[in-house]
Amino acid sequence: MATLEKADLAPIGVLEGIRRRGRPWEDLAAQYGVKNPDPPWKVTLDATCDILAAESCASAEGEAEAAGSVLPVLERRAEEDELSSTLYAGVPFPERQLLALAHSMIRRGLFDEEELARRMKEVQERLTSA
Amino acid sequence: MAKVIDEAKKHGHGHEGEHPPAPMVEEVSDFEVLEMAVRELAIDKGLFTAEDHRRWTEYVHSLGPLPAARLVAKAWLDPEFRKLAVKDGVKASLKVGVDWIKSPPTQFGTPSDYCNLRVLEDTPKLKHVVVCTLCSCYPRPILGQSPEWYRTPAYRRRLVRWPRQVLSEFGLQIPPDVEIRVADSNQKTRYMVLPMRPAGTEGWSEEQLAEIVTRDCMIGVAVPKPGVTSNVKLPVHRAVHPVHHHP
Repeated sequence: MATLEKADLAPIGVLEGIRRRGRPWEDLAAQYGVKNPDPPWKVTLDATCDILAAESCASAEGEAEAAGSVLPVLERRAEEDELSSTLYAGVPFPERQLLALAHSMIRRGLFDEEELARRMKEVQERLTSA
Repeated sequence: MAKVIDEAKKHGHGHEGEHPPAPMVEEVSDFEVLEMAVRELAIDKGLFTAEDHRRWTEYVHSLGPLPAARLVAKAWLDPEFRKLAVKDGVKASLKVGVDWIKSPPTQFGTPSDYCNLRVLEDTPKLKHVVVCTLCSCYPRPILGQSPEWYRTPAYRRRLVRWPRQVLSEFGLQIPPDVEIRVADSNQKTRYMVLPMRPAGTEGWSEEQLAEIVTRDCMIGVAVPKPGVTSNVKLPVHRAVHPVHHHP
């Protein structure tokens, strides 16, 4: 099984910032008195993981085309296990699943750290602008 | 926010004495932002389309343990259906509205839930319990998302070595003369447990029976009991002094 090398398990700046300052759902839910055990974004995270593992993706024209998995389940889960017991050991679930997914995607070059930081800033501004 | 409430009152939707609005988290967390950013970047990079993602989200959102609970209840009530469930779990799933092949957006199963379900029937002398030692394979199309503890290395590693002890930690004491059989899920095959129908449920309807067939009963770490309709809440403990294994 192709999993991340030791060097790939090194901290990634933008994710370290989130690990340190991010407020997990269990804290937010307790503070606001929300009973839902899972954050609203868990279902979209699970969908992202599923779709990245799919063996064919729809092309821009909407036709199914043969393609390898972008991120096979076994590789993602093995890396999540490894990262969950090391870098993200102090982070609760499903936040650590999300950090591990982002980590695996950056290390595979699917996007880079700067792109993620930039996009996070855009999303943050959009969500808090109203 | 105050403006919205005022508008609701003006239109007769905010009567005094009605249920207050459900509490909600009123801040944007870094994790929420990260999830969106990862998803949007993946779409920008052409890894999938927004439409693909919407369809998958809808599918994931539709998953839950109810179809599996209904399958068990049906099997308790109908001996012929019970035989079908044990012989061909995928075919029996159709009777509770789960099509392992065509329900997922791919129309040919999902990459992480291969289209082969085995229903493991408990007997007075045999107790089944399910695990995935490799990762967290789980019969999601019929049982929904796996619980956190099911994903942990502690459950996965320990269950195959010390099943009786692990089950007792869930509050399930299995007598010494009952064999425990651990089914290890894999990429090809998913398992669910068909537990024994408990005493005290004579004359119950399928709906009544399904209510006591919890997710944990179908993983095999609990058994159905009249009056018990929720899963055990287990804290997930981290190893304080982890032992490092070397190949």
